[in-house]
Amino acid sequence: MTTRRLSAYTDALAAGRRPRSFQADPEDVEMLRVAIALRAARPGDAIADENFVAELHQQLSDDLSPSEPTDIHPLKRYRGRAAIFAVAAGLALVGGTVAVTETSNKATVQQSATAVPQRQALHTATFQSPTGQVVGQIVLYHGQPSWVFMNVDLPHSNGSLKCELHLANGEVVAAGAVELHDGSGQFSQSIHMDAGTARGATLYDSSGVVVASAVFI
Amino acid sequence: MFRSPEPSLSRVIDPPTTSDERGLTHLRVVDADSYSDWESVYRDNIQRLYRLMYARVGNRADAEDLTSEVFRTALRPLNLALSKGEVRSYLLTTAQTVLASHWRRTLGTSVTLIDPESDMNSLVEPSGPEEPSDAPQRAGRILAALPERYRRILELRFLEACSIKEAAEAMGVSVSNAKVLQHRALRMAAKAGLEVEQ
Repeated sequence: MTTRRLSAYTDALAAGRRPRSFQADPEDVEMLRVAIALRAARPGDAIADENFVAELHQQLSDDLSPSEPTDIHPLKRYRGRAAIFAVAAGLALVGGTVAVTETSNKATVQQSATAVPQRQALHTATFQSPTGQVVGQIVLYHGQPSWVFMNVDLPHSNGSLKCELHLANGEVVAAGAVELHDGSGQFSQSIHMDAGTARGATLYDSSGVVVASAVFI
Repeated sequence: MFRSPEPSLSRVIDPPTTSDERGLTHLRVVDADSYSDWESVYRDNIQRLYRLMYARVGNRADAEDLTSEVFRTALRPLNLALSKGEVRSYLLTTAQTVLASHWRRTLGTSVTLIDPESDMNSLVEPSGPEEPSDAPQRAGRILAALPERYRRILELRFLEACSIKEAAEAMGVSVSNAKVLQHRALRMAAKAGLEVEQ
């Protein structure tokens, strides 16, 4: 019985408040579409607030500034190390005889690889939490075989995260699960699909809640 | 999917970067159909993307959060060598994923969608207060198919920003009756299979 929650949702829409979440059924969805279509027609509200535009611009400037001090250093180090892991994983999966040593943010690769992934066949994306925090990376290789590599860093988290890939044709396919230990985990495996058609990826926790999502460019 | 940009090139002048270079003019060749930096991507698309998100969620708070998420996700790995059309397509693809995640997270099912191909017009329309929108027409089609009392309660609540109490007073009914009218009106509009853009 979701009538009360549905009414609360549509009341919030009508009043311009953020609606509360609930588990909607198909009939609810049709009514919500009508309510949203009507609300979207109210004059004036479809223009972004100037303060919002300015504040988001400032936040993006802070996020994207290459000279940003202190706070983002751990993230940069992490991302650099993650990239090394990603490349190392690619070499390991494709090249065959690969040795990887990672010591204090420095990687040494000794190999006699037979086939290094071509850059055009690699698709990378960053996992971001619903709040915008970078929590990991995913790399897809489109080849024979195709493979996926991902690493995730979620402090204070443990357990399994399920990964789903969103394809260009709207299909969603499972791409495996990454086990977190002390907040960190990595995962790689070959996949039997056209990796070039992947448009995004989503990580879910064991209860089905979205932990992070990524969009391939 | 997109027409290749014409090879028309333009010159932009970058300011000198060091004291030794003061007075020198630096010429950088860029494609006229591409963005020069992330800020131009932001300025050119923020209003359009917000408007698209607002039309899909119907409230300012969620539209702002989702618009922020799209830019945070998309700008860092963005390749500025792409054409404007390709950048907009990339923004729309990001928005598609962000919106889908939003509905899964909040209602457990998809309510509205963004389709990067069919919604491309949303990002190429003129931006600003004069922007064209078909939202009033769609609302008009929904309301026109309803009986008078159902139409009136929805107009009062969703278009004229009346509280449920104000709407009840305007219609001469009790508050509880107004709530019932609103629910039945929405249900009738939904069941009528009215054309509601997803």
